[in-house]
Amino acid sequence: MDPAILEAFRQVLLDPMIWAAVLGAAVYGVFVGAVPGLTATMAMALLVPVTYWMPPLPALAAVVTMVACAIFSGDIPTILLRIPGTPASAAYADIGSGLSSRGKGDEALVTALVFSVAGGLFGAVVLIVLGSQLAQVGTLFSPAEHFWLYVLGLTCAVVVSKDAPLKGALAVLLGLLVSTVGLSAVHASARFTLGYPELYQGIGFIPAMIGLFGVSEVLKNLLTLEPGVPGPTSVADVSRVRVLHALPGSLRRLFRRPVSAFRSGSIGALIGMLPGAGADIASWVSLGVSSRSKPEPDTPDDEAALDRLSDATTANSSALAGAWIPALIFGIPGDSVTAIVIGVLMMKDLRPGPEIFEKQPIIVYGLYLIFILANLALLPIGLLAIKAGGLVLRAPRRILMPVILLFCVLGSYAINGSTFDIGVMLASGLAGFALERRGVPLGPVVLGIILGGPLEERLIQVLTSADGSAIAFIDRWPARILALIWLILLFVSLGRGRGPDAIPASAASREDSSDHSDGG
Amino acid sequence: MIRSRSIRPPGRLLPLILASTAVVLAGCSGEERFPDRPIMLICPWSAGGGTDTVSRKVAAMLEQDLGVPVNVVNATGGSGVTGHTRGALAPPDGHSITMITVELNMLHWRGLTNIGPDDFRPVMLLNQDAAALFVPADSPWGSISDVRAAVAEAPRSLKASGTAQGGIWHVSLAGWLDAEGLRADDVLWIPINGAGPSLDALMSGGIDMVCCSLPEASSLMEAGRVRCLGVMAEARIPDFPDVPTFGEQGSDWSMGGWRGLGLPLGVPEDRAELLVSAVDRVIRSEDYLGFMEHTGFNVSPAPPGEFREIMEQFDRQMGDILMGEAFQSVRRTRYGPMIFPIVILALLGASLAVLLLRGSLRRDPGAPRLDRAGLARMGLVVLFVVSYMALAGQVGYLLSASTLLLGMLLALGVRWPVALATSAALVPATYQIFAVGLRVPLPWGWLGW
Repeated sequence: MDPAILEAFRQVLLDPMIWAAVLGAAVYGVFVGAVPGLTATMAMALLVPVTYWMPPLPALAAVVTMVACAIFSGDIPTILLRIPGTPASAAYADIGSGLSSRGKGDEALVTALVFSVAGGLFGAVVLIVLGSQLAQVGTLFSPAEHFWLYVLGLTCAVVVSKDAPLKGALAVLLGLLVSTVGLSAVHASARFTLGYPELYQGIGFIPAMIGLFGVSEVLKNLLTLEPGVPGPTSVADVSRVRVLHALPGSLRRLFRRPVSAFRSGSIGALIGMLPGAGADIASWVSLGVSSRSKPEPDTPDDEAALDRLSDATTANSSALAGAWIPALIFGIPGDSVTAIVIGVLMMKDLRPGPEIFEKQPIIVYGLYLIFILANLALLPIGLLAIKAGGLVLRAPRRILMPVILLFCVLGSYAINGSTFDIGVMLASGLAGFALERRGVPLGPVVLGIILGGPLEERLIQVLTSADGSAIAFIDRWPARILALIWLILLFVSLGRGRGPDAIPASAASREDSSDHSDGG
Repeated sequence: MIRSRSIRPPGRLLPLILASTAVVLAGCSGEERFPDRPIMLICPWSAGGGTDTVSRKVAAMLEQDLGVPVNVVNATGGSGVTGHTRGALAPPDGHSITMITVELNMLHWRGLTNIGPDDFRPVMLLNQDAAALFVPADSPWGSISDVRAAVAEAPRSLKASGTAQGGIWHVSLAGWLDAEGLRADDVLWIPINGAGPSLDALMSGGIDMVCCSLPEASSLMEAGRVRCLGVMAEARIPDFPDVPTFGEQGSDWSMGGWRGLGLPLGVPEDRAELLVSAVDRVIRSEDYLGFMEHTGFNVSPAPPGEFREIMEQFDRQMGDILMGEAFQSVRRTRYGPMIFPIVILALLGASLAVLLLRGSLRRDPGAPRLDRAGLARMGLVVLFVVSYMALAGQVGYLLSASTLLLGMLLALGVRWPVALATSAALVPATYQIFAVGLRVPLPWGWLGW
């Protein structure tokens, strides 16, 4: 065995500073991930000055653990309150909160945790075993392939809108339209800004997401709040968040479905390593694939929902390690979090690139170990966090809702320190409330806002490079494969989605008055 | 970092609030100190890029020097318009600094904004990076003359990138072509936002060459994936001694970008001086110099006066280049900004029409009806957010958030001791956690805590 591996083991496992860093970063990551508006990117940026004082391995341990924990803990408010803590959780906000409102919040959360850990470990193994080979796949992706990847992600968001794919499409398109507000990245010309300079930087997807999910949820809850009755807690029936009770079931689920866990993990790792595509697209695509392959039609609804939830959480956690593949090998980050990580590495005199494997093998092996360690640490800390989340939700709704609103305001301001973003949050909240009453899903809107800019960039890039010829979209074989996958996905979903959209059975009298006020 | 607060039994809370307010107000009396609260460093480029890396390093070190948190805010978009505009229009109290970049000399010539170098008080020039030309390792071209010959032979068949349309690296490449007697648009410029994604596209074969600064491509160069044909500098760069200059290859073209710190106009002179000397200490420190060397950024600091001259000189040069005949094509994009929105709007209209015809956009049967009481409670949300937006900037987070939270809790029928306890405990606690612990910017205001 390479002596460097033994040395790495020794340095990682015997260093109390690494254990302290893992523990501290796990708690920090869980907290930051659970607050909507505090993104993993931002948390990472805040960690930079701290890691600055640490030796390289503890610094890496803090960074890796923090991100892994933040991506999982984004699921806690997603499932309990239907407010995604991170964009990576938006894909399954409906599934998770649905389970939660049927009294299965504990099962949903523990399943998310177990599969996040499994996904994280899977991603780590992929990074360790296949990292250098897979990095070559990343270099096949030119703008045309990225274009198809984004189209694929958006189509998955439509496919998973269960009853009404057309409403899902409407939601995606609304999101894409919102993303065109502001100065476009390609042309740097102002669009739909109505003369407001604040709109130049566009509608941020974080405040929009907080509004669409958080504020609209608060609005919905306040609408039905019974005056004078102490009432139950919010969306979730958390009278029994029994985490340890739910753990064996989730582990059994993992062992019952090794193939789909493997599939979701691979999807996550592959998407994670592509620059510009991260955990959020990974969870949508995994969910899209998962909803296509439902073997037994007689599976109970909640079981099927838990299965889909587990697929998506596996993929978004696995994507995290994937993002390190191009970062370590070429110094090209897979997402913005890893971009800051590269900065941290460089501060430590570690220049990512192939020579890091030769010059600093201890760091590389140490990093691999840390990935395993971080995901193992997530399990107990995640269980505690779920427990704590359950306790918070015991507060009555009339107290909880204003407090959540305060957090929404804080979170949207936190992104840019701009009051304008709070306005965006409120407007999205009202719009989200109105859309949801019409049965339009909100998750795809968020994905549309996230992907709109990159999608347009790729579209213009491909058109420019081909001097306007549409053939450019399919003149390379990787692009053809992706286009083919997209066509298959489209046909399969059309085949399933035939027949009219679910029309409300009781043609309830329409409320045409003030429930679509999305101004502001 | 997080001060714990014990929750007292309800009823004894009013004195607590009054007491804490008094303490806070007492703390305000010694208002002479600057800086007395976190400083925001606006970075017009996204997290992870070269400018961001330098910004974060400078921020981390300024923080130690000044003793207050220095937070980097990435205000990205519009080729730098967003961040520069925000920096120039920030309140001139010394608590907002901007990492200004060469685009400040270009944006106004391109008609994208009115903000120019005159809208900043220069603090310090940090570095100047020359442009360099990269090709894949397996490319047949060995020198810039090979590229020149290839372009002359087949104009508009080669693709290059490195930044957005009309960005600094685009102008660098187009300027060289122009200086070589070719047309500035003989190489197709694919607008890719940033050097990292451009290098990606280079490796996948999507484009033929990349123009960006040397440190941005250094990992790939060391990995043997890309080759640098030349750097557009007067002399070779010490960190990259093997890379020849354009001058050595018979072209006298040199071009590059710069980064520096600037303050909005109107900052009191004593505060500006204090910041200048702090930045000066930082960039002379061994720590900073070591970092810049590892990362490959060159270090060429210049004090405010000299920085102003450099900016003015660049500005004239950019004006000549960008307003010249040869560059009209650089300023234009072939595929207009409205193509994408129009496609989306058409698809949106179509799906909306189908949904309306089918009548499937009716109210969800499960959704509760809007009654008057419910609407009133929902109105509280709007009231809360709108009043917070109106008040917080002036009054500050602590006062406005606690008042509004209290009001909303009471309006929802929460008993007043509980409501008072909740807002009195929660608002200061969130303040401690977010503003003090996590360095999240929160509105200041009267208390100035």
